[in-house]
Amino acid sequence: MTWYDKDSWLTQAFAPNLSTIAFTLVLVIVLPILLHQFVYKRQTPTTLPTFLLIGPSGAGKTTLLTLTERNTVAQTHTSTAPLTIQALLPEGFIPSSSHYRSPGDPAYERSRRFLLHDTPGHGKLRHFAASQLMKPTNVRGIIFVVDASSVAEEAGLNEAAEYLHDVLLALQKRYTGAKTSRGPKEIPVLIAANKLALFTALPPHLVKIALEKAISEVRKSKAKGLKDSGVGMRGDDDGLEEEREWLGEGGEGSFEFGQMEEVGTSVTVKGGNVLGGDGSDVKSWWEWVAEQL
Amino acid sequence: MLDTFEILTTSGVVLWSRTYVPIGPNIINSLIRDVFIEERIQPQSEDTGQKPTYRKEGYTLKWTTAKDLGLIFVVALISAQAVYQSLVHLTWIDKLLDNVRALFTGLYGEQLKTERTSGVDCEKFGPYFDRQIQELEQASNGPTSGPANIKLTPPSSSGNDSADDGALKPPVSQKTQKSLYGPDTSADSTPVPTPDTSRPTTPAQSHLVTGKSRPGGKLSRRDRKKAAAVNSAPASSGDEATVRRKGKGSAKKNRVWGEFGAEEDDPSMVLDYSQTDIKDDASEAEALEEIKPETWGRKTGKGQFVLKDLDEEMDSIIAEQNAKKESFADSTGIVGSSLGAIGGLFRNVVGGKTLTKEDLAKPLKGMEDHLLKKNVAREAAVRLCESVERDLVGLKTGSFTTIESTIRASMEKALTKILTPTSSLDLLREIQTTNNASRPYVLSIVGVNGVGKSTNLSKIAFFLLQNHHRVLIAAADTFRSGAVEQLRVHVRNLKELSKREGGEVDIFEKGYGKDAANIAADAVAYAQKNNYNVVLIDTAGRRHNDQRLMSSLEKFAKLAKPDKILMVGEALVGSDSVAQARNFNASFGPGRGLDGFVISKCDTVGDMVGTLVSMVHATGIPVVFLGMGQHYADLRGLNVGSVCRLLMS
Repeated sequence: MTWYDKDSWLTQAFAPNLSTIAFTLVLVIVLPILLHQFVYKRQTPTTLPTFLLIGPSGAGKTTLLTLTERNTVAQTHTSTAPLTIQALLPEGFIPSSSHYRSPGDPAYERSRRFLLHDTPGHGKLRHFAASQLMKPTNVRGIIFVVDASSVAEEAGLNEAAEYLHDVLLALQKRYTGAKTSRGPKEIPVLIAANKLALFTALPPHLVKIALEKAISEVRKSKAKGLKDSGVGMRGDDDGLEEEREWLGEGGEGSFEFGQMEEVGTSVTVKGGNVLGGDGSDVKSWWEWVAEQL
Repeated sequence: MLDTFEILTTSGVVLWSRTYVPIGPNIINSLIRDVFIEERIQPQSEDTGQKPTYRKEGYTLKWTTAKDLGLIFVVALISAQAVYQSLVHLTWIDKLLDNVRALFTGLYGEQLKTERTSGVDCEKFGPYFDRQIQELEQASNGPTSGPANIKLTPPSSSGNDSADDGALKPPVSQKTQKSLYGPDTSADSTPVPTPDTSRPTTPAQSHLVTGKSRPGGKLSRRDRKKAAAVNSAPASSGDEATVRRKGKGSAKKNRVWGEFGAEEDDPSMVLDYSQTDIKDDASEAEALEEIKPETWGRKTGKGQFVLKDLDEEMDSIIAEQNAKKESFADSTGIVGSSLGAIGGLFRNVVGGKTLTKEDLAKPLKGMEDHLLKKNVAREAAVRLCESVERDLVGLKTGSFTTIESTIRASMEKALTKILTPTSSLDLLREIQTTNNASRPYVLSIVGVNGVGKSTNLSKIAFFLLQNHHRVLIAAADTFRSGAVEQLRVHVRNLKELSKREGGEVDIFEKGYGKDAANIAADAVAYAQKNNYNVVLIDTAGRRHNDQRLMSSLEKFAKLAKPDKILMVGEALVGSDSVAQARNFNASFGPGRGLDGFVISKCDTVGDMVGTLVSMVHATGIPVVFLGMGQHYADLRGLNVGSVCRLLMS
């Protein structure tokens, strides 16, 4: 039976048979639906732009999160698990991407929406933040919250500086370890100096100077420190020694946040307070968020 | 007594709270830190039927969790006064926690599962909670009041107790009533405000009484008006009556003096007004009467209804939750179970299986054996497995993951958590900070005999010398022959090695047989005088279960005041590591413990590095250094990731 025979499959396929018509009809109806499902299922997880809330414990991350969501501050305690919320940029702040859109535009509303991802700040639970930094999915920015009053003291400053050092180093590694020549998408960092309403709080520019100084110290002592146990203990399965990386300009001299521009990370310091006697003042942080959206 | 009840999420947001006496947020924060994060305090197993307790600054906290929803329920009580008192109340606190958990998860479980929000609208939870407390208090008051009174031997304290009880109960009951009836009805029940407070209250009240006492309360309007008139006249005081009489008199006068002018009108108007006032009063009373019976009826009816409804609803929710738990525990029927078994097998491969204790038992046993093979002490292994179990029970496995791989991931997480230090362990920075205060940094090393205290001390000295510090080594081991000579040799070697580097090292020795604590104190004073940066104190090795030897450590800590006390432990030691770490940690007297561990001889055990985990598990104190070889440079910091990999391999 060849293809030009009267009852070959090709002839059947073009003949006005009921089965052929039915089959074609089903195909015509079902195929677009399947195609649609296939195409859009893969695209539906369009994640909203995400902002990470990172910082030492007790800085006010979760409180800031509740303020963002509800416009009022809720009572909070030490977090033990991360939390993501969907938030809307408050009225009066225009996302930079829709600067020329009219407020009635549905795309304008859409652009105001973003996700805020809170991470626990306790020393043992920083792996949540670290895993987010390793594989950032649509992270537009990192809000590093510090307690401006605890930065005034040695212990608080050291903790904040060490954490910030690790965060910035992770960002730098992400940039230098990129395979493509273009480099990954920039992730700016906002250092939100919280609790400015407190009497003992340092003003933002002093917070910046103090943190820069402390980070240079951290870098210096890290350079002098002992080697990791990971190198020797892995045995002979891989002899290549992991090369250590130094934050900013090869780890020489004093560190400045400006050095991070080279690796695609701009660092801004802005002050505000979530809680306070006369309400919260987080305008400058919203402005920063609006710039990134 | 009950001070605060809080419902919070694991992400730290307080969903609902009821405060009787405000307590600082730091109390609950420290509970979360010590129990949930650092796991410093071992929670008692749930089998004993008691909820775990945690004491802090005179408060006793009890808590329970709803793992699947990420909720923590905390009760804070003042426990400062007497032990028996807290015990009496703790009996129903457990029940309260259970009931509230069941209620809250039943009412708001669905809301809590919505993603990307932090809040739950649980404003209306107040009445449920109050009702629970009332119920439990009533239930417990009967049986417990008797024993409580019997227990109290001194009469004065019993009076104190009862007074306390009395002090607490009224606010609670008041609150409950108010919230149960709702704001609208409570507003109704308040007396209607009248312009003159002293006069109209009496008739109004009398009307109220009559209205209430009337059987049907369904009289015609005119009837009621009449009754009101009759009632108000005798009820009004004599003062009123005189006023009315005067008013009548003035009315006559008014007619007579009508032609004189308006000035005469005024008093009559006033008096007239007084009469109208009385009339107003009467009408008001009538109005009161008209409304009152209805509101009373409605109020009592509604109040009862609300009460009953709330109770029933509450009971049904609790029962439902308990039933769910039970049905979760045992599967139903033969067919159901066999189908479930097949489905379970399938799901085990594909994923999406909800894990139960039985599912986890066998793989966890395997995991425990694996850890024991890695030289983890049994106690630590059991604890790790328990924490993994707590983590996983009730969880759904991800798609295409088996139970084993889920357990593996969870165990890795638990190991990382246990090994990660809470604060930074940067020795160099600490030294710098201490030196800025113009005093030397004092570091001392303790440990069991032969674990390598002196060797590791010299390694640390080498590390510090490389960083250009001036180091003084104090030979406070005045017991073992050759100990001082050994250190002297180390110092000589280190001097040779550090000549080019720029560091400086010396030995401080006083020979044998002297008191170690005094030598250490002298060494610190000497270092202060001669501008040394760091003092390293070597101590004699001692068996951790020998009270006589261990007791001298307390004096040592008091006199030398070390900034850091490190304990050296061998990686070779097995289950004894837990006892070693515990005893040494407890030997420095109250308020002082170890600051870190140095694990020596890590190069001799290959991947069996379980001792690290055992020691950290026993005390919650981090590992600072690892000894990895025979040379001065063979000292390493801890890399948590690589240790976890070794343990899980």
